[in-house]
Amino acid sequence: MENYKLEEENLNIPLWLVQEEDYIPHTDKDTFLNKSIISILKILSRIKTQDQTNTGTHKINVTLKVGFTFLMLLLLSFSKSFVFLSIIAVVILLILSSMDGKTITSILKITLIMTGFTFLVLLPATVWGNSYSGIMLTTKVFITVTAVNIISHTTRWSQITGALKRLFIPDILILVLDITIKYIVMLGDFALNMLYALKLRSVGKNRNKYTSLSGVAGTMFIKSKEMSEDMYNAMECRGFTGEYHVHNSFKITIYDCIYIVLNLAVVVLFVYFQSV
Amino acid sequence: MHIPDNYLSPQTCAVMGAAMVPVWTKSINKIKKEIPRAKIPFLGIGAAFSFLMMMFNVPLPGGSTGHAVGGTLLAILLGPYAACISVTVALLIQALMFGDGGILAFGANCFNMAFVLPFLGYFVYKFIKDRVKTQKGEYFGIIIGSYAGINVAALCTSIEFGIQPLLFKDSAGRPLYCPYGLSISIPAMTIPHLLVAGVIEAIFTVAIVRFIRQVSPETLYEDAKQKNNAVFGLVLGLICLTPLGLLATGTAWGEWGKDEISKVVSQGNTLGYTPKGLLEGFGFQSLLPDYAVKGLPEVAGYLLSAAAGTAILIIIFKVIGNIKKE
Repeated sequence: MENYKLEEENLNIPLWLVQEEDYIPHTDKDTFLNKSIISILKILSRIKTQDQTNTGTHKINVTLKVGFTFLMLLLLSFSKSFVFLSIIAVVILLILSSMDGKTITSILKITLIMTGFTFLVLLPATVWGNSYSGIMLTTKVFITVTAVNIISHTTRWSQITGALKRLFIPDILILVLDITIKYIVMLGDFALNMLYALKLRSVGKNRNKYTSLSGVAGTMFIKSKEMSEDMYNAMECRGFTGEYHVHNSFKITIYDCIYIVLNLAVVVLFVYFQSV
Repeated sequence: MHIPDNYLSPQTCAVMGAAMVPVWTKSINKIKKEIPRAKIPFLGIGAAFSFLMMMFNVPLPGGSTGHAVGGTLLAILLGPYAACISVTVALLIQALMFGDGGILAFGANCFNMAFVLPFLGYFVYKFIKDRVKTQKGEYFGIIIGSYAGINVAALCTSIEFGIQPLLFKDSAGRPLYCPYGLSISIPAMTIPHLLVAGVIEAIFTVAIVRFIRQVSPETLYEDAKQKNNAVFGLVLGLICLTPLGLLATGTAWGEWGKDEISKVVSQGNTLGYTPKGLLEGFGFQSLLPDYAVKGLPEVAGYLLSAAAGTAILIIIFKVIGNIKKE
């Protein structure tokens, strides 16, 4: 008898569950949360796609590519000749046109934003009669940003650090760079989850949202400290002594020779137009 | 505050890069001494943290958002030396991988954001904290430190921009790099930082330090008791001297114009004349009288235009194709 009573009680749905409710949560401003999520997602996707970069079409030795791009940036910066700039711009456009549509779009997006910004900044100077700076600087910024983005879109990060190694950057800095990239992804994932959690749990008005953001950043810092200790212990267990060496062989192919010749031609052009 | 390439002359970039070398060396030595264990992963992960910090958007009144740089915050959390290296690495990745901030201008960007910002912010914070020994005093120090740090860094950036038209002109007197002088660049850079960016930086820094102090106070950086005043003075001095040093060098060595070369001093004697070769030789004055494709044979000009046209058309079609695919 008693059992039956208990069962009956359990079958009755509690009153508060039966009541009909029209709960419409108040809208709250969370642009800053969405923006933070988007900017971290952008970084993560950029690093992840960069890691899968197909380097097949650009077979040139990465060390040469990085070294000569640096040299070209220097020449561009020194150059006072618009003809030289035009020639380099055409070369860069030709290289760009040989890439696939998706890469071109993502490179052009960055380039056009930077060039547009420069143009706007220099517009007052141009209006006041200094059209030289407006034209020269905008062109230079366009070429420089495109060139750097071509490098970063056609080369894996590991290859860039490898190239830096051969360009006499100390080993320890390269190790730090590699760890940084790896942990931007790990810490970024971690921060993303916290931001999602904050967004999901903020139903209606949440006055603590702003303070929670500093909590997210603070937790990220504590997490990063833990991660670095874990990583050091793992490294020590595997016999890490504090020395770090990068080994790789350096071979020059026919493509590299063509590339070197083309770049030397650029240097000759620079010298020629600088003295015209 | 990221300076792109071509706004500063390569000479300025070289000077700023050279100024950073002793800072980097000192920082690495200091880190090796202070945290011998776990130093390398610590630096890498600190850099990852500082990189991600810049991705956090903070709400501003009026519904818009802004982001903090977090230089002073890192200096308070990791110590100024580790903060310097972390920000440097983060800036390097931004320049190489994301095209944010120039590669030649890397030294200048490091000077402003990896040296001036964390060191000044930290030493102002420490200066106030050591004198007002209450918790309120500490938070006051954080606010003033982070506000001062980002604003002085912005001021340094604007000075680097502003001295360009003074120092680097072509033969016709037109500025070769950033065309705006100090009277434009200083207000343009400092006003937004004084009003908006500095406030964001201060609020963000205080909020995060408070959170960590409550949750896990042992992770905060504890400075060994040392005479900070000397370092503080040194930093201030360096900051004041560097732009002055740049100003004082005048025309870069070896780049004298024809009118200047007669005034060049060599072993105490002025040169007193202009070398004849310079007067008559290759005509410097004909540099870029207009932007036409002068100095290039007509055929080459046509070829160049044709190549440019072809490349641009291919790019347009590929972009359209890509948009359609999506």
